[in-house]
Amino acid sequence: MRVMVLVKASKDSEAGVMPDPEVFAKMGVYNEELIKAGILLAAEGLQPTSKGLRMRFSGSERAITDGPFAETKELLAGFWLWQVKSFDEAVEWLKRAPFDGNTEIELRPVFEMEDFGEMVTPERRERKENLRAEFEKRPG
Amino acid sequence: MRFMVMVKATKDSEAGAPPTQELLEAMMAYNEELVKAGIMKGGDGLQPSSKGARVQFDGAKRAVVDGPFAETKELVAGYWLWECASLDEAVAWVKRCPNPMPGPSEIEIRPLFELADFGEIVTPETAAQWDRLKAESEGQG
Repeated sequence: MRVMVLVKASKDSEAGVMPDPEVFAKMGVYNEELIKAGILLAAEGLQPTSKGLRMRFSGSERAITDGPFAETKELLAGFWLWQVKSFDEAVEWLKRAPFDGNTEIELRPVFEMEDFGEMVTPERRERKENLRAEFEKRPG
Repeated sequence: MRFMVMVKATKDSEAGAPPTQELLEAMMAYNEELVKAGIMKGGDGLQPSSKGARVQFDGAKRAVVDGPFAETKELVAGYWLWECASLDEAVAWVKRCPNPMPGPSEIEIRPLFELADFGEIVTPETAAQWDRLKAESEGQG
């Protein structure tokens, strides 16, 4: 199964404060361990919400609100995507992550096609697979 | 520039309500457009927070809290990773997105950090690790 690991924002991440070089290096080592274990599918850091925006959808209306956004501890600062055998395995790996201080990380299983049951017709499955094949062969 | 485009949760997504046939079709067509335009780098839907957990880090302590989590509109229900020429291009593409939820909904657009953004704290070693990380995550998501 795939699990998304969501790293919440902090005052520092929202202020654009660079990570402590020691923590940055430890995170590099942790990522290497995840790669070696065959768990890591993706890892990204998000720029502060001051660089982002939100779009509200209501009927045919689209309303844009520029960042920054206030509710810091609910904002996202980064994520991993992991391939694990079980949710428990993801929890165990996360416990080893080199976060100090007060940090909260959220784990969420990702939907796979099987989870959509009968809605996934053979035609839709083929379209989805073609799509994946097409974007995977693109460079970069 | 690379962006994370996040679909926020709603009561419906948190309740595990499946999409309608109509929305599923519209979303598939939209995803096909994103791929054809060379923008799509990945994307997934997340299961409701009732299927998830949070780990709280405090010094050496690790506390696990099981979902569901209450602050629905701040939760993430799904995301894409896009490569666009600018934030404006990403905004223009989000405007064309079918409303991902049965009722009002919100999508957040956030630029991703590139290695160069970390400036002086990047060592040759962390730069090499970054390259391996990106090679590993190629075409994933």
